[in-house]
Amino acid sequence: MIAVLGLVLGVVAGLLVRPEVPAAVEPYLPIAVVAALDAVFGGLRAMLDGIFDDKVFVVSFLSNVVVAALIVFLGDKLGVGAQLSTGVVVVLGIRIFSNAAAIRRHVFRA
Amino acid sequence: MSDQDRTPENPLRRELPEEVPAAPAGPQAPQAAGREQDRLTGRQRLVKGLWPLRASRAQLIVAVLLFGLGFGLAVQVASNSDSDSALRGARQEDLVRILDELDDRSQRLGDEKQGLEKQQQELENSSDQAEEARRQTVEKERQLGILAGTVAAQGPGITMTIEDTKGTVEADMLLDAIQELRAAGAEAIQVNGVRVVANTYLTDTGKSVSVDGNKINAPYRFKVIGKPQDLEPALNIPGGVVQTLEKEQATVTVERSDKIVVDALRAAKQPDYARSSSP
Repeated sequence: MIAVLGLVLGVVAGLLVRPEVPAAVEPYLPIAVVAALDAVFGGLRAMLDGIFDDKVFVVSFLSNVVVAALIVFLGDKLGVGAQLSTGVVVVLGIRIFSNAAAIRRHVFRA
Repeated sequence: MSDQDRTPENPLRRELPEEVPAAPAGPQAPQAAGREQDRLTGRQRLVKGLWPLRASRAQLIVAVLLFGLGFGLAVQVASNSDSDSALRGARQEDLVRILDELDDRSQRLGDEKQGLEKQQQELENSSDQAEEARRQTVEKERQLGILAGTVAAQGPGITMTIEDTKGTVEADMLLDAIQELRAAGAEAIQVNGVRVVANTYLTDTGKSVSVDGNKINAPYRFKVIGKPQDLEPALNIPGGVVQTLEKEQATVTVERSDKIVVDALRAAKQPDYARSSSP
């Protein structure tokens, strides 16, 4: 519950504060958000499976974000930033969908 | 101090042993049994995790991470829904293409502007020319109007008054006077309110004289516009108009004036037969 409250608080804070995104971070923020979403869905699934481990969650969350940003950064340097971002989003999207399917099976038994 | 120093050095190693008992103790502590936990369905676990509000370390850490996620999500959504983000999200090639298109467009519009300005200049020139032509036409019309007697005229000149008490002055004498005045450079002449023009004729009518069919009586008053220094001597030369008239017992007075007004008018008449031969 506190975790959900944290998410809600984050959204509210982001909408209220509306900070100017630094130009250096701008291309990485959307990919990082998607990667974090993947980690969150994975964590939720693990919790429903009963194998949730906060350490694993923290590490996977942070490493997901860092690796996604790293891939985009590398792609920008190689000149294929747009394609690589698309690839990362596709892969993370597939994972999010499979995790969401598992969660759905747990919650709705279907 | 030493404990606190040690903590950031190897947090993993320290947490690992604690993790195993802590993880089940966190969400599933009230159930307090490993086998019972295995029998729980996912849905029950979700409800258990949601409702009894417990500030366990796992929940706090996850909350902090999710706070970051929500914050980033909101910031990204907000910055993406800004009105000027249409170009912000565009790729470099698209931006270059858009820039090229804008350059082309501005060049086309510049060309068009140049053409229109040239056209405007031409139109202004031609309207200037038309204005000039119209001005010249008006000027010419006034000049010709003075000659044809259709407009009034004023300027320096002389006034000649012929007193004829005996009735001896005849049309040919007046015509001589008019000829003399014309020869001396008279530009506009009127006699007793009748304008004298190119086709003016004078006839004797009993004891008086008719000018263009208008009967006029003595005294005959000539108003003449021209150079007074030329007109007056031309009338006064020996054997000239004045002497001839005085021989006939008439009294002639010639006065110079700086402002003579010839305001007798004559209607412009369309010629019946003569046509302009200039194109």
